[in-house]
Amino acid sequence: MNHKGTRYLPLVVTVGQVVIFPYYIIWLKEVSLTFTLFAWFFAAFSFAAAWGYQIAQSRTNKDHSYLMFIYAGMGIVYILIGAIKNSSDILPYAVILLQVILGLLQGYFRAWHAEQDTYHLHAVHHYLIVGCAMIGFSFVKIISPVVVITIFGILMCMCAVWELMRNEKKKTIIPGK
Amino acid sequence: MQTIALLVKKPWFLGSLVVVFVSVILWNIPIEKRKYGLTQSGLVTDYTGLLPERIERVVKAENRSELQRIVKQANVDGQQIAIAGLQHSQGGHTYYKNGVVLDMRTFNRVLEIDERQKTVRVEAGATWEDVQEAIQPLGLALKVTQSQSIFTIGGSLSVNAHGRDIRFGSMAETIKEMTIITPEGDIKTITREDPDEWMKYIFGGYGLFGVIVDVTVDVTENKLYTVQTEKMKIDAYASYFDQLLNDQNMAMHYARVSVAPSSFLDEMYVINYKQTEKRDYVTALKKERSVRLTKLALDIGRHGGALENLFWGTQKRYIASIDGKEITRNNVMRSESTFMEYTKPGRVEVLQEFFIPVHRFEAYMNELKNIIPANDKNEDFKIHNITIRYAAADPFTILNYAKEDMFGLVVLMQHGLKEEQISEATSIIQNWTHLTLDHGGTYYLPYYRYQTKEQFRRSYPQWEKFAEEKLRRDPNNVFQNMFYDYYVK
Repeated sequence: MNHKGTRYLPLVVTVGQVVIFPYYIIWLKEVSLTFTLFAWFFAAFSFAAAWGYQIAQSRTNKDHSYLMFIYAGMGIVYILIGAIKNSSDILPYAVILLQVILGLLQGYFRAWHAEQDTYHLHAVHHYLIVGCAMIGFSFVKIISPVVVITIFGILMCMCAVWELMRNEKKKTIIPGK
Repeated sequence: MQTIALLVKKPWFLGSLVVVFVSVILWNIPIEKRKYGLTQSGLVTDYTGLLPERIERVVKAENRSELQRIVKQANVDGQQIAIAGLQHSQGGHTYYKNGVVLDMRTFNRVLEIDERQKTVRVEAGATWEDVQEAIQPLGLALKVTQSQSIFTIGGSLSVNAHGRDIRFGSMAETIKEMTIITPEGDIKTITREDPDEWMKYIFGGYGLFGVIVDVTVDVTENKLYTVQTEKMKIDAYASYFDQLLNDQNMAMHYARVSVAPSSFLDEMYVINYKQTEKRDYVTALKKERSVRLTKLALDIGRHGGALENLFWGTQKRYIASIDGKEITRNNVMRSESTFMEYTKPGRVEVLQEFFIPVHRFEAYMNELKNIIPANDKNEDFKIHNITIRYAAADPFTILNYAKEDMFGLVVLMQHGLKEEQISEATSIIQNWTHLTLDHGGTYYLPYYRYQTKEQFRRSYPQWEKFAEEKLRRDPNNVFQNMFYDYYVK
């Protein structure tokens, strides 16, 4: 609770994911060929999230969270989405893979986050921050969905680095106590 | 229920669910991605999507009197009507700016089959596939239609289509009678002997002279054919075809020319369908099959260069493998089409067709080498295949492309959608058209309008008569489309 990383990083991730969600939907709609496929992409995401959630819950050593990899993974996926050109014929095939990875990571993150002391406080804060952020975004008229998605991807990678540094710091403090 | 709850708690179970579900999605990602055609939002395109235009509305009539009422009302209101089926025409033939689009797909019934006379009466919005499904159990088959059966009957007649058959003449010749709604809203039954010559203008009239409501089409026996394939050099083809035409055992034929760099416009293969005595009642109509595999092969060829050589080699091997096989007449006339779908944003794949007199073929193909590059790997404008069909002389229709016996070169090509890319494609196609005209040929009108107005007029010298008759028969300009607006008006 006292670590800044535990206090702020999950909030950044939850808020960020909700804020970029509309942009992500627009991107996904553009690459989906039909509504059926669009819906299936989401179903794949959901199944993968359930899987990720269950993996996190079944873990015995919950102190070791792998969070750094979760943040980095999410960041890389979002940056990849930003880098993908819509013109590729294999795009639907790539998208389904990205949906599964993203769902798995998000499910895992949610399971971890729900068990943190900060969770209930974050739940309130994230609604307020998202509300304000979306009002702010409504004034930005021209911005491509992939730009927002990429920026969030970079932010996630920065979170991963922050988490890595925090872990390193924790390791150096614990031996001496 | 308890078992399911227990299973959900197992990560391996959820993981397996994801793997199975993803596999299902991967298998079902559709090949057909194209979004085109009529919408109620007011903006329409046709098969290429190159000419989006705002229209007033789309109307569907449920019966003939309603159709008649729509046309009569348009005369009173000064409204323009364009007629649409499945919109495979690619040059704005099926819609008009701020006009009404008459969606004919509701008129899709096979009305009557006369087994003794071998005729079928069918509504214009039905597809050839609908007709095939109705007549196949009776051992009957179409006389002339395109190599695919996905088009509507009204659409095919409006573009005066032709196909693989080399015996029954033009598609128009197989129509005994038709019911139309004239531009003034009268219902007429017309034949080829009609003194007012309505058919002359309806066939290849692109929906500008009336609404085709139904037609009575001649059919023939659904014979079983033996496939004969052969590889040859281009310079041997014209004389080969002359002999083929004299061989009355040959019912249908087409050929494909190499556009692969290693044998560019030099090598070709032919596919013939030889008569057998057997009439078929039982063979099912073939469905689309191996779509992913054939699409993959075409996608490889689309890259050009060495990959196009590979694609051509694969085609030749496939063609050699079907030599000697048997196929029904109906199945020859329903080739697969889904594998050709191409939906890359920022690019378009279009068709063009050039007709060339049979005796000019060799000289023409040699000169064509100066117009299109042998290796288009690094070019924006790419050619994927050239198929050759035979179009017998058609002295009947007004905008006739086959003034004598012609070879039609159906060309599948691709280019980018940036202004300079369209302009480069236009320039190449115009040069190609120029060469065709210099050899006494013509080009086909249902495709996108790359050609100049001058080229249109040179190809179709009777265009003035066409325009004159249009004004005489449709004084209020009720039937309109973008093709007419651009080339004829």
